[in-house]
Amino acid sequence: MAFVSRRKTIWKNIALFLAILGPGIITGSVDNDAGGITTYSVAGAIYGYKLLWTLIPSFIVLVIIQEMNARMGIVTGKGLADLIRENAGVKVTFFIFIGLLLADIGNTTTEFAGVAGSMKVFSISKYISVPIVAFMVWYLVVKGNYVITERIFLIFSVSLLMYVVSALMGNPDWKAIGQSIVKPKMDFDEKSLAVVIGIIGTTIAPWMQFYMQSSVIEKGLKMGQYKYTLLDIIVGCIATVVVAFFIIVACASTLHVKGIRINEAKDAAMALEPLAGALSAHVFAFGLFIASVFSATILPLATAFYVCEAFGFEAGIDKKWNEAREFYFLYTGIMVLGAIIILIPNAPLITITIWSQIINGMLLPVVLVCMILLVNNKKIMGKYVNRPIQNFIGWGTVAILIGLSVTLLLLPLIKI
Amino acid sequence: MTSQITFYLSQILGKNFVSDDGIVLGKITDFLIDQSPLPGQESEPVRPRLVAVKVKKANQTIILDFSSFEIKKFKRKLRIVCLEMHSVSDESYSNCLWLAKNILDKQIVDINGRKLVRVNDVRLVMIPSGTYVIAVDVGLEGLLRRIGIEKPIQAILDTIHFSIPGKFILWDDIEAVDFANASIKLSKSSSKLNTLHPSDLADIIEDLDKASRTVVFASLDEETAADVLEELEPHAQIHIVESLPIEKVADVLEKMPADEVADLLDALNDDKAEELLEEMEKESSEEVRELLEYPDKYVGSLMTTDFLTFNERLSVAEILEEIRKLKPDPEQISTILVTDKNDHFLSSISLGEIVIAEPTKLLKEIMNKNPVTVFDDDKVDTLAELISKYHLPAIPVINKEKHVEGVVVMEDIVDDLLSRRKTK
Repeated sequence: MAFVSRRKTIWKNIALFLAILGPGIITGSVDNDAGGITTYSVAGAIYGYKLLWTLIPSFIVLVIIQEMNARMGIVTGKGLADLIRENAGVKVTFFIFIGLLLADIGNTTTEFAGVAGSMKVFSISKYISVPIVAFMVWYLVVKGNYVITERIFLIFSVSLLMYVVSALMGNPDWKAIGQSIVKPKMDFDEKSLAVVIGIIGTTIAPWMQFYMQSSVIEKGLKMGQYKYTLLDIIVGCIATVVVAFFIIVACASTLHVKGIRINEAKDAAMALEPLAGALSAHVFAFGLFIASVFSATILPLATAFYVCEAFGFEAGIDKKWNEAREFYFLYTGIMVLGAIIILIPNAPLITITIWSQIINGMLLPVVLVCMILLVNNKKIMGKYVNRPIQNFIGWGTVAILIGLSVTLLLLPLIKI
Repeated sequence: MTSQITFYLSQILGKNFVSDDGIVLGKITDFLIDQSPLPGQESEPVRPRLVAVKVKKANQTIILDFSSFEIKKFKRKLRIVCLEMHSVSDESYSNCLWLAKNILDKQIVDINGRKLVRVNDVRLVMIPSGTYVIAVDVGLEGLLRRIGIEKPIQAILDTIHFSIPGKFILWDDIEAVDFANASIKLSKSSSKLNTLHPSDLADIIEDLDKASRTVVFASLDEETAADVLEELEPHAQIHIVESLPIEKVADVLEKMPADEVADLLDALNDDKAEELLEEMEKESSEEVRELLEYPDKYVGSLMTTDFLTFNERLSVAEILEEIRKLKPDPEQISTILVTDKNDHFLSSISLGEIVIAEPTKLLKEIMNKNPVTVFDDDKVDTLAELISKYHLPAIPVINKEKHVEGVVVMEDIVDDLLSRRKTK
């Protein structure tokens, strides 16, 4: 046969996987952003190993949701924003995306707070670190090569595994860890419920669904490559959960044992220094820095992208300024706003974080319901609609998430 | 009464329509537009005419003939009057589109802007001869109007003498592409897409969703389809090749240069590629098979086998006459190869050099005495350097017996460089 000299070898198969690799792993890494690290640190410091079990349901839900996004992207070749606009009408679309825009400005602010906090551990003022990082990220994306940027971050995201080092240095109690996972327990008080909601909520953010689906389309994946895509998603979700696990362990085995309470991820890094040594604290802070920068790069970009997609403006970093004015305006605007809020002395950071979490919490069920309706629409998905078992887990997830979101919304009211 | 009323689709969609004496008859849900030219006006640009209306009446959806409808402006408010309800079947219309289902909120091709845009609203006009679509609204103004906050926002902006930017595109300058959901086929002759440059068309097709991609591509004539397929990104190429009938793809592939076909087939799985090669005409498929033998990094994988050779003893006049007779693709003749009577390669010469030479000169007098050539098993990396150093539009590829194997043209070298930079 004519193709003997070009036959696909085992190496070509691996190369194929590496080429497809990305959407799942990048989404998984961005997931562990500044907000995530903060939530995990706080959970570890307050409750020790007790809440480690929450990572298992988080993992399952994460895989189920991302698989649906990937499948929709592969089958339709359309972004989630496009599909929502074409099927849910202009009003629903408008309110979803205004909400997402506001929430993501808040999230971006949190990322810059992560940059400021982690650099403070290395004694660098936020008035220096935040503007420099914001400008560099902006420049890399607008003037540089995004593919290269993405790859650099992919390598960097491996450095999140540094948390493993940080955790091991604290001599964790493996027996207690094992027990807490095998026999899940939680106190049914308001605060512990809030932390559980926080852990699940930070793992499944609405904007990720849009990002996931777009990157699958960008890669031009097809159904024949589905198993590689699924593998990519699973690897990404495992990475997310493993990093989260070690952050909780790192804080549980040191801060919790000594009874130190924290509010922010940088507090964790600083508190670690006397307990587990300067190296451990620096590793922790560096991880926070990388995670924050990574997310500060992707979040504003993804937001600008899907807002433009929904409203029909040209978008994409391969477009020129004049061709995609709305896109660049949004991207730059989100960056600038996020950075400026951090630089205001005594900015109400905690209020901003809480509000962006509340908006996220309200939007997540809306987006998920849209998603499940779309993925079950035969006109859109053909024979690739959800199977009954996927629908069962999908709707179950939506029900639990709505329950949790409603609880999260009502909690502050109960407190008052 | 004015004889002309203009209005937006969003102003009447979902509104009630009434009988002549003002009794509410039902709710309007969609309009059918007919795009076929009126008898006797085939050469005129088509004005899409409203022919039917879908209404909801007592929880039942029916389709009514539009000719008994009238739209009146009454104190700045629109009033839709139906004189007689005349039920029709939508199957009796061909070349028609539903405005709400196929146009509104969907992506369309902006022919002049050469890109996809999303329709926020549709502008219509009612004149005595009928109601027609004039333009689509793709701007911010239309978006705000749909959400219902255009007027209050404009009122605020009025105080600073600023108006919401609106953007309209005339119906003549758009082409709808949401055919996955429409019952009609995009007709080949009337499609405005054929007027676009194949490269622009390829960019648009890449941006479309998978279903529309296939339909739009299938509507192109074979020549355009071949040019477009050549320009598409590999993953879009593969998707189209895999989703169209094999005979149709084979016909298009036959129109493409063999080296491009080889690259495309190389990305497909072997069975599919073999199937396509079987389906193609023998002459074309054999050329492609030869090229497929070369691994990626060798010159052979990049070269084209479409080139012209002439005997050294021919004169400039004879060659030009021959070229005019053959009418090859312009890119095939950027460089012309010179051979001796045994078909051994002697030299190459650019078309430019031939054109400026005296008609009576013989090829051997004007050809380059030290031609630059490569072997088919040379590495690809050397090519860019050679074309840059010697200012060549193309490089001849020869084998060890000095027979010509093909030509590598500059465009393919540049494409190769660009694709490598992308994947690095």
